[in-house]
Amino acid sequence: MAILRASHLVKRFGPVTAVRDVSLTVGEGEIVGLLGPNGAGKSTTLHMLLGLITPDAGSVELFGMELARHRTEALSRLNFAASYVDLPGVLRVGEVLDAFARLYALRRPRERVAELVELFELGPFVKRRVMALSSGQRTRVQLAKALLNAPRLLVLDEPTANLDPDAGDRIRGLLTRVAAENGSAMLITSHNMREVERMCDRVHFLSGGVIVAAGSAAELAGHYGAEDLEEVFLKVARG
Amino acid sequence: MSQASTLTLPPLGLAARRTRVMGVVRRDFAALRRSPVRVFEIFFWPSVELVLWGFMTLFLRAQRVPFAVTFLLGAVLLWQVLQKASNEISIAFLEDIWSRNLLNVQVSPLSSAEYLAGLVLFSLGKVVFALAVMAALALGLYGFGVTTIGVGLVPFMGVLLVLGWSLGLVGIAAVLRFGENAQVIAWSLVFMVQPLAGIFYPVSVLPAPLRAVSEFLPASHVFEGMRTVLSGGPVPWDRLAWAAGLDVVYLAATVGLFAWALTYARRHGKLSRFGE
Repeated sequence: MAILRASHLVKRFGPVTAVRDVSLTVGEGEIVGLLGPNGAGKSTTLHMLLGLITPDAGSVELFGMELARHRTEALSRLNFAASYVDLPGVLRVGEVLDAFARLYALRRPRERVAELVELFELGPFVKRRVMALSSGQRTRVQLAKALLNAPRLLVLDEPTANLDPDAGDRIRGLLTRVAAENGSAMLITSHNMREVERMCDRVHFLSGGVIVAAGSAAELAGHYGAEDLEEVFLKVARG
Repeated sequence: MSQASTLTLPPLGLAARRTRVMGVVRRDFAALRRSPVRVFEIFFWPSVELVLWGFMTLFLRAQRVPFAVTFLLGAVLLWQVLQKASNEISIAFLEDIWSRNLLNVQVSPLSSAEYLAGLVLFSLGKVVFALAVMAALALGLYGFGVTTIGVGLVPFMGVLLVLGWSLGLVGIAAVLRFGENAQVIAWSLVFMVQPLAGIFYPVSVLPAPLRAVSEFLPASHVFEGMRTVLSGGPVPWDRLAWAAGLDVVYLAATVGLFAWALTYARRHGKLSRFGE
């Protein structure tokens, strides 16, 4: 069953059409990648799926509910992290997580925060201000925040963009494991093709605001006669 | 039942709504606690104004100007209620933009009404704190007790608080509509009210056209009412009722304006661009 169903999304900003006609689904527990070159419309698409941008045409259904009409219910079951979004730097890590635990109306916020602090090995930083953390540590806090409500859908916009290969690898492993344990689905954008190959069950390629290819990494490589997803990316991006 | 549904309260239930509103308050309070400059600022500027006008009243009293102390100090105290109510709600919203956290808030289940309720509650706490400090200073330095204003004090402050929140909402709506550069509107809007509200002088000194405008400013009725009370007259409840009615109209209009600006920001992708 699809927990996310986007149908014929269109978004124009003045004379520029950022997204032309995007339809996609994400099934229960599925990990789906949204790939494409810069300016392909990935973030605009994600932001329409999250209700941050209102589409000019098309519809978004989350968990069988129309997002525009059931915003609070739908958003309480998903969560989001992005490399370009930050957390209040002046707050301590524990305070940030506690604040978001309450925004997601958790029944036992302290216990849940403690679980995630342990999971993401944030113990040594829990009393440190967010602004004093390294980008890798901040990413871990962002992801801990994104898992607070054990979301049925986790939307991640370039989640490991600020991480070194070692930290990125550890985060990928952790995310995949936690998603499997929670039964969470994920929708991810990334420019790291190996990350996408390793994590995603299915991939959508966006170019010029349109989905130009979709399938598993192996299917796409076969379709384009490519060795791997990176080569597929280059072929798609260069037309 | 999924893990998420056992972890969280039913999202549309009263308990969840209360938790989310208080989440905004707790977060902003934690941010305030971690920022000594912001704590300092709460009472620094009001205290500067109080001291400045306090010395002015001492001079006027020496010149035998009647009611100088009570009129001016009462006006300074009530003006701070209006100014802080307006600015604090704008600042709380702008903090989310400055810290690039707005998207996190906007994709949470927090509704706009809950978000605003949280901002309003937190700003109320800051106003009360600042006022308590100023009232203590006014009493200690100039012997002016804020309770001199009598039973009218609470409704006077209530009218000014609501007007301040309405002005703050206009500032937030301006930022949502025009982007971060419109922050200046959020700061300065309340000062456009100042000359028309008859804070330090009676409205009767204004030219006729401006006097007509001030008739539709809830603040002008509060400050006129305060002077009436401090001169020994009764609380002008009819004026207060008119001011409260105006407040209701303006608050409803500015909530509508905020909702429109948020819809506009979502339609034009402006939320996504804040903090870039």
